[in-house]
Amino acid sequence: MSLLSDVLVILLNGLQQGAIYVLLAVGLSIILGTLKFVNFAHGALYLIGTYAGLFVALNVPLSNGKLAEWGFSSFGLDIGFFAALIFVPIFVFGVGLLMERYLARAFYDRPDTDQILVTFGLAIVVQELFRVLFGSNSLPFEQPERILSFGSFAGLPVSGPIALPIVGNFPQWRLWVIGITAVLVALVYLLVEYTDFGLVVRAGTRDAEMVRLLGIKITRPYIVVFGIGAALAGVAGVVGGPLNVVNPTIGTNILVPAFLTVVIGGVGSIAGAVLGGIVFGLTTAALVSFAPAWSQVGLYAIAAIVLLTRPQGLLGDEEVSP
Amino acid sequence: MSEKDANPSAKDALVGGTLFGRWEKLRGREGTVVGITAILVAVFPYLFARAPVVSGFLQGYQSLATLILIWGIFAIGFDLLLGYTGLLSFGHAAFWGGAAYAAGIVAKNVSGDPIVMVVSGTLFAVLLAWVLGFLSLRRGGIYFSILTLAFAQMFYYMAASPLAFLTNGENGLTGVEVGSFLGVIHLEADIPSVGGMLLGTWLYAFVGVFFVGAVAVAYRILNSPYGMVFRAIRENEQRAEFVGLNVWRYKLMAFIISGGFAGVAGSLFTIHGAYVPLQSLFWTESGDIVVMTVLGGAGSMFGPVLGVGLYLYIENIVSTIQALTIPFTDIVLVRDFGFYWHLLLGVVFVVVVWVVPDGLWGILNRLRELAVDLGSKAAKRLRARSENGGGGQ
Repeated sequence: MSLLSDVLVILLNGLQQGAIYVLLAVGLSIILGTLKFVNFAHGALYLIGTYAGLFVALNVPLSNGKLAEWGFSSFGLDIGFFAALIFVPIFVFGVGLLMERYLARAFYDRPDTDQILVTFGLAIVVQELFRVLFGSNSLPFEQPERILSFGSFAGLPVSGPIALPIVGNFPQWRLWVIGITAVLVALVYLLVEYTDFGLVVRAGTRDAEMVRLLGIKITRPYIVVFGIGAALAGVAGVVGGPLNVVNPTIGTNILVPAFLTVVIGGVGSIAGAVLGGIVFGLTTAALVSFAPAWSQVGLYAIAAIVLLTRPQGLLGDEEVSP
Repeated sequence: MSEKDANPSAKDALVGGTLFGRWEKLRGREGTVVGITAILVAVFPYLFARAPVVSGFLQGYQSLATLILIWGIFAIGFDLLLGYTGLLSFGHAAFWGGAAYAAGIVAKNVSGDPIVMVVSGTLFAVLLAWVLGFLSLRRGGIYFSILTLAFAQMFYYMAASPLAFLTNGENGLTGVEVGSFLGVIHLEADIPSVGGMLLGTWLYAFVGVFFVGAVAVAYRILNSPYGMVFRAIRENEQRAEFVGLNVWRYKLMAFIISGGFAGVAGSLFTIHGAYVPLQSLFWTESGDIVVMTVLGGAGSMFGPVLGVGLYLYIENIVSTIQALTIPFTDIVLVRDFGFYWHLLLGVVFVVVVWVVPDGLWGILNRLRELAVDLGSKAAKRLRARSENGGGGQ
């Protein structure tokens, strides 16, 4: 094929890879920016999202782990991917609320290192819990065939290739990942920038004490922010699950790139997280096609270069950084 | 009163009077600390792996004893940074694994002499720590943690693929042949006579010397004015800056020193196993040292070593337990208990961070203080009673 189509394919693949990073990074970033809480368990939320998505959407056979030993031969409701896209974020939102209320809140006044340590410990616990229940083997998470199908309504087919101009055939589901990410991030952006809720949250970021003095209960917006961040990680798990392997280590493996995305973009900036995710996605996609051996190294090299030249991140404010 | 001072009675010595006071004074001395460490290191493998009753209870083995000391050196160095300077690095796998690879590559291509291996591995780690510290310390707090993590991951992926011609990629560095120490002593061989009964192999003795050395160096640093500055930075960085200290340089030095300790440990790890797994560079390895240090007690000299012992013991011994039974009975509490070891450890870790940030060492310390407190109260009561009794006669 021509050079142009190669470049476009890399661009699309990069955007799709970046989309997962963006979903995770936006969640991390709003939690870090508003609550000043370092959540090393964000990868664990992604892990929960993936398994929850698998549970709702499909029904997969279990071969090892405690669940199989206890007599559960399969895992899942098999009610379709669209249901997963609805239920999983709600579920992980709830998980996020619980986490804020019973874990994070106790650590707001403690040093960063304590926050990192306790959430890191939590990430280990969650990962091990899944390993015990499902075993260390990868589970199959097939790409969805169609979404929005109810009863007699067949819904939209989302699997298989789609013919695009210039590019030619391209896996359709990847475009959906990009689309879903774009819609969700836009919604969060509008929520934070243009609603009263967002106003309170942003004011709390600047001066929580003053907001409290004005008679606004800041704890409620905070817990919701945490929940939204968690829900985004859950969505990332659902849409990212079918694109990668599903096993208990995916949470810790995705954490490092997600954190780097936040730091590259600038903490607390949604636009920054998006930019960081796109930069990372494109870098990885380009290196995978031109220098596969360096594809992972490149990600970290870029992060290092950006941080050394612009420590506050590409779109970060100096004063927002904790 | 003067009567009592003139002839300290046996009772005083018994219940924490002069004898205890003398011990307290002695305890603080460097020679004592190093000496006691040396004695403990010398008897540890015997108690752990060969003593009649104790070892049967512990089910330890020689190789695990060596491994505990190696990770112990790593943890002491890591604690200099986390516990004393207050910097949480998630990138120490780069120094540990980097040194392990450096030592292995030197052994394969230049010389298998253990001393040469340790020196080259450590040198590599120190230089690497200098560079990475210089870069990572440009930002503090969480950024420091994430930057160290990022740089260390970069090395992991470099070793995995672009540098595979040197590191043997995914398979890890195999075929490392460790030579004999000074050309005479084979490290795998048992030490003859009493030494063998206590220490076991020459390898253990070799590692033990480095461990005692590490304790001595760390103790020296921490009890010098230089080490005081580390603590000052941990307590209040800004204030340390205002007093006129160049905080950045001290932090960099703490980072380099702890990188050096990790380098010694990593090189010894290669000598111990004659193999370097790629995993040794992965960030979960950094996570392990964090868990060990915090579990044992960051900010204390021996807490991290305690944490290392506990972690490795659970990883190697407890994980093989098939069923947890009520002692001396056959009633099974938990089947496949060993299967849950990592989960259990994770839960314990979270609880420790949450409730006792100074770790197991902190708990032991508090228990000791409690015991001393109770002891002195009991002594006071005893003295009061005997004085009353004496007055009555």
